[in-house]
Amino acid sequence: MRPKKTVLLTLLVNGQRHEVAAPQHHTLCEVLRDKLRLTGTKQGCDKGDCGACTVLVGGQAVLSCLTLACAVDGPVTTIEGLGGRGTLDPVQDAFDKCGALQCGFCQPGMMISARGLLDENPTPTIDEIRNALSGNLCRCTGYTKILEAVLLAAAHGNDVDQSYNDMRRDRVAVSAFPDVPPGGGLLIIGQGKSQ
Amino acid sequence: MLRMDPFLTETPTSVDEAVALLAAHQAAGRSTKVIAGGTDVVPNLKHGLFDPEVIVHIGRVPGLKGVVDDGGHLLIGALTTLHDLSVHPLVQQHASGLARAASLVAGPQLRRMGTLGGNLALDTRCLFYNQTYFWREALGFCLKKDGSLCHVVAGGKKCVAAASNDTATMLLCLDAEVVLQAPTGRRTMKLEDFYVANGIKNTVLEAVDLLVQVRVPKAASRRFEGYAKLRHRNAIDYPLLSVGLRVDVDGGVVSAMRCVVSALQARPHKLPCDAWIGRAFEHRQERQDVVDGLKQLAFAKCVPVKNLADDVVWRREMVRVLVQRAFDEAIGEAS
Amino acid sequence: MTRPISSPVRVFDHGSTFEDAALRRQDGDHGLGMRRRKIDGHDKATGRTLYADDLSFPGMLQAKLKRSTRAHARILSIDVSTALAMEGVFAVITGNDLPAKYGIIPWTRDETALAVDDVKYIGDAIAAVAAVDEETANAAVKAIVVEYEDLPAILDTETAKVTGQDARTKVNPFAKKGNITKGVELSFGDVEGNLERCRSEGVVVDADFFFQGTTHAPIEPHCAIGTMDERGVLTVISSTQTPHYVHRDLAHVLGLPEALVRVVQPPVGGGFGGKSEPFTLEFVVAKLSMITGRPVKLLYTREEVFYAHRGRHPMQMHYTVGADRTGKLLAVKSAIDIDGGAYASFGMITAYYAGQLLTGPVAFNSYAFNATRYYTNKPACGPKRGHGSVQPRFAFEVVLDMIAEKSGIDPIELRRRNFAGDDVLLINGQQMNSSGLIECLDAVRTASGWDQRRGKLPRGHGLGVACSMYISGTNYPIYPNDMPQSGVQVKLDRSGRVTMFSGASDIGQGPGSALAVIAMEELGVLQDHVRVVLSDSDLTPVDLGAYSSRVTLMMGHAALEACRTLREQVQDAVATIWECRPDDVLLGHGKAWHAKDTGKAMSTKEAFVLAEERYGTLGAVGGYRTRERGGDYRGGTIGASPAYSATAHIAEVKVCERSGRIDVVKVWVAHDCGRALSPVIVEGQIEGSTYMGIAEVSMENMLYGNYPKYGETPGPDHVRAGMLLGPSLLDYRIPTTLDTPPIEAFIIEKPDRNGPYGAKEAGEGPLHSSIPAVANAVFDAVGLRLTELPFTPAKVLTALKKQASSSSKAAE
Repeated sequence: MRPKKTVLLTLLVNGQRHEVAAPQHHTLCEVLRDKLRLTGTKQGCDKGDCGACTVLVGGQAVLSCLTLACAVDGPVTTIEGLGGRGTLDPVQDAFDKCGALQCGFCQPGMMISARGLLDENPTPTIDEIRNALSGNLCRCTGYTKILEAVLLAAAHGNDVDQSYNDMRRDRVAVSAFPDVPPGGGLLIIGQGKSQ
Repeated sequence: MLRMDPFLTETPTSVDEAVALLAAHQAAGRSTKVIAGGTDVVPNLKHGLFDPEVIVHIGRVPGLKGVVDDGGHLLIGALTTLHDLSVHPLVQQHASGLARAASLVAGPQLRRMGTLGGNLALDTRCLFYNQTYFWREALGFCLKKDGSLCHVVAGGKKCVAAASNDTATMLLCLDAEVVLQAPTGRRTMKLEDFYVANGIKNTVLEAVDLLVQVRVPKAASRRFEGYAKLRHRNAIDYPLLSVGLRVDVDGGVVSAMRCVVSALQARPHKLPCDAWIGRAFEHRQERQDVVDGLKQLAFAKCVPVKNLADDVVWRREMVRVLVQRAFDEAIGEAS
Repeated sequence: MTRPISSPVRVFDHGSTFEDAALRRQDGDHGLGMRRRKIDGHDKATGRTLYADDLSFPGMLQAKLKRSTRAHARILSIDVSTALAMEGVFAVITGNDLPAKYGIIPWTRDETALAVDDVKYIGDAIAAVAAVDEETANAAVKAIVVEYEDLPAILDTETAKVTGQDARTKVNPFAKKGNITKGVELSFGDVEGNLERCRSEGVVVDADFFFQGTTHAPIEPHCAIGTMDERGVLTVISSTQTPHYVHRDLAHVLGLPEALVRVVQPPVGGGFGGKSEPFTLEFVVAKLSMITGRPVKLLYTREEVFYAHRGRHPMQMHYTVGADRTGKLLAVKSAIDIDGGAYASFGMITAYYAGQLLTGPVAFNSYAFNATRYYTNKPACGPKRGHGSVQPRFAFEVVLDMIAEKSGIDPIELRRRNFAGDDVLLINGQQMNSSGLIECLDAVRTASGWDQRRGKLPRGHGLGVACSMYISGTNYPIYPNDMPQSGVQVKLDRSGRVTMFSGASDIGQGPGSALAVIAMEELGVLQDHVRVVLSDSDLTPVDLGAYSSRVTLMMGHAALEACRTLREQVQDAVATIWECRPDDVLLGHGKAWHAKDTGKAMSTKEAFVLAEERYGTLGAVGGYRTRERGGDYRGGTIGASPAYSATAHIAEVKVCERSGRIDVVKVWVAHDCGRALSPVIVEGQIEGSTYMGIAEVSMENMLYGNYPKYGETPGPDHVRAGMLLGPSLLDYRIPTTLDTPPIEAFIIEKPDRNGPYGAKEAGEGPLHSSIPAVANAVFDAVGLRLTELPFTPAKVLTALKKQASSSSKAAE
């Protein structure tokens, strides 16, 4: 193994300047997780196949596991930097509200991709959301509630709870899927009879 | 996680500085690798396929991004990202097939990182090559890296790893040229001459060269262009097969035609299409006649090899299907 | 405001009332059955949740494994001297350092943490290194030299059947007979007689099916950290679904008393069965930390996750099924070969499950099955979501479609006619108290427009139905004992807070939220006032783990029991002050209410103060153990469950006849979970299961190099045999947002008397029938019976061509 050469990097992460010494061959993902202890950014596949390590660099959703730390050119936003002080980003709030978070491991990357999309396109269609999230693999949810959450975050940023109730009442989320017959949706049958 | 072996990085801020650095390191006997978006180089570093002592990161070199119309050509900076390419109005207007090809590369994050230059210089891919060191060691390594045996073609002496770059397929159809910068100066060459039929290294790019620009001639007459990509998933995947098609029509007849099939072997396969020049291309049936002939030709000429896990008979069957799809795309009848 | 409670409609063993819950559904977000945020949702949304690899400790070393490059070989020598001498390397261990055999099933302890004499698959672990960082550990691993003597690689069941008589062809020396892990043969009723009857007056279908293996591919790779303190207490933090079994096997392998081992399971980034037994990494970090005196972490690479595997078994299945003229199923007979890989894992159970879990919700009069699991030189298979029963269910449900077709009966009607019913003893002696199959079928039938559309869509476009059931835990624990399968401890105090301690494993399915719901329902506290402590063997009572869909039912009962004890104390203390009957004290929405006097109310905090004053320090425990056992024959307990869920799927597909590609356009799924404690979570389980099934039909494929076949002369590239082709998330394709159809999930609630509030499982059942639903939809679309999974475009196109040529021949 060749000797490592360490460099001093200046990174602007979540609005804060960090001076960090890291080996020249380390990726942004390694620096965020190992040096800055920002462990919200995950790694799932080692090499750019799963999207769990997605962060925003200069507002663009990119994979931190394929980005050399010394090549970073612009402010970095990780999941820890999405919300404000003590408040959630509407994307985070909507993911929580919709039950889009199961094991939660792919979700930091997923939420970052969603934020990147909404910054460019505040009112995306369901197909635009599907496209924007197509580089983030989720193994738990079947994506259904994730898509619902991004629609919710896009539709009403400020009061997610109220919007969720409105959305479910109006079935905005589900009717945004093609081919859903009207009147479908949650059916609760207690004791075997329809309510 | 997979870690890379250590290397040094250089971050030049001009093209001249970049090529000078490359030349200096080469002269000192140090191996180098140029990196821009990193989407191909970094996985290959993690797999131990590349083992450079020095990485020259060109992402901060100014003037290599963006698309300009010089009247006769679109001049596309090599650092233009695939995402920017896919949504650029000039590209959509004058090279819609290229915009489409760029929009189908990998997933959204990789398109925002990956550059056109990087895609054109993409290393060839093979089931037996794009794997970890451990995996390749268990395999007994291969012709392309660390070994002497081809696992695709028994007894094969020529590497058949596949060109897997979506944009190259389309740019070849568009008669694009590439501009290379070396310490000795700039040279422009046809993209067709940029690729060679050697899977170990399928371009003429030298270690001291920097791909700086792509020149795409604008259409002189009415043009139809389409790109079709075969893959299992609608995102992330490399092509199992790709087809680019361009038909120029002047006075109701074909004035120029190109069809390139790729992801077969090391060099994108350009089909001879001159036979169709002068053929009527106005009415539906005339057009279908052209594509039917093209499908036959493509099927006869393109024989996929087992460089992917997928069934080669099926991949070959798909050549015809993809030619039709590229054609449908070109004439705006894609479903 | 008063909490609207009226007299109970129906009270279950542990039940609050349904009417009660239905009213509260309209009433906000409190308690049972509400669309509520998960208790850990906020932490997960902010990235604050710490998974195993997010933890680090001062002085922590990184471990890496040396793995076998041979499919089957004797180890002649291992030279670790160069590695050990490298700067930054602290320790290197090999199989001789951890020679004790272990295995999740106590009767099949057939693996060691590191290979001792021979390696059994490409990727089998041989040695482990602890070093200052991963780069150094990697370099040290590369420097370890292993000398092998190659042995024949046994790569499929056909070969496994005829080998294993001698040491060279025996995959795992544990196999007593040939290469067999376990053979099961069971028979119920007069199968042959019934088949005879059906042949003369009815219909008999004979068909072969093949289910290619698949893997779990959770996004979080396995990770474990070991530390040993100066007192000799070993702590292992691991991303496991079964911390209790890891605890037992760690003690066993390392020779430590169980009391000196602590296992902590942080939130797990997905399991699906892939982390439900002890793995090499846990033993290795433990041993290396004992040797070095430092914390040691081992994180698997994605490739290593594929080698850890324990995924779905490939099964070759033959089914013979007979029905009478009315479509009544009289006989089912199956013969199943199971490709197990190098170790037993849960394989003994798999062999039983392949037969035992088929007997409902569609019932039949007689049944015989013969299932044999073989060892092969590949990564070991194990329990993937729907363990052992997804493959047979695929085959059986396709056979049902064939019977429906031959008998001219609508496929939904055929299933309705053969519905087992409620409160029935199934043919193999298993008691099914409840099954919402009919309601499930009705829901998807209506939603999909089945009656108007099935069989009437243009060619290439079709609908298919299938159904299934699944267990909610098993009556019989993995190791025989009479102790509770799940324990919960609850403390509440004057702060108004309730803390729940449970050994249950959170793998994303939300046991913490289930505990919180129960606390809210029983003790009236608000969700924010519930704290949950999960899965730390020093702190929490034993729970057997997150497998076989057991958590909601078993942990739920344990939590209910503990909460009920405390509720009585709180009610009693408040009733004394209000001078009313304890029953008149209602707890809900953060308050204690007087049932008959709307003027009287106090906060739960005040109520808890009263209780603490009256009873002293407040705490209670609860536990769940099964009362029933199952069928009274050898193997009769395996597959016997306290409660069975039911599922129905309808899939709509489009088949491209040019490319062979199947696009699943839409899926409707209805699942009877008994009672949805948290509907959002239940929907998520149904949607996620369905997604996973669709992925298994269309693209997921565990492909191994198989050249040369056994007995063939190896060419120069012979090491390809047994190599997993493409162990990465690029080559093993799991669907993206653009590949996943819209999934419409319906919750059906048919409460079970054995479930807490009637609840049954929802995490695994809804996978099963998604696969045959797609297969049956393909038949509706293009008239093809596809029997080999996955339905890759190449296979489909070949089948379509065969169909076209035979129909053109027929036309001649």
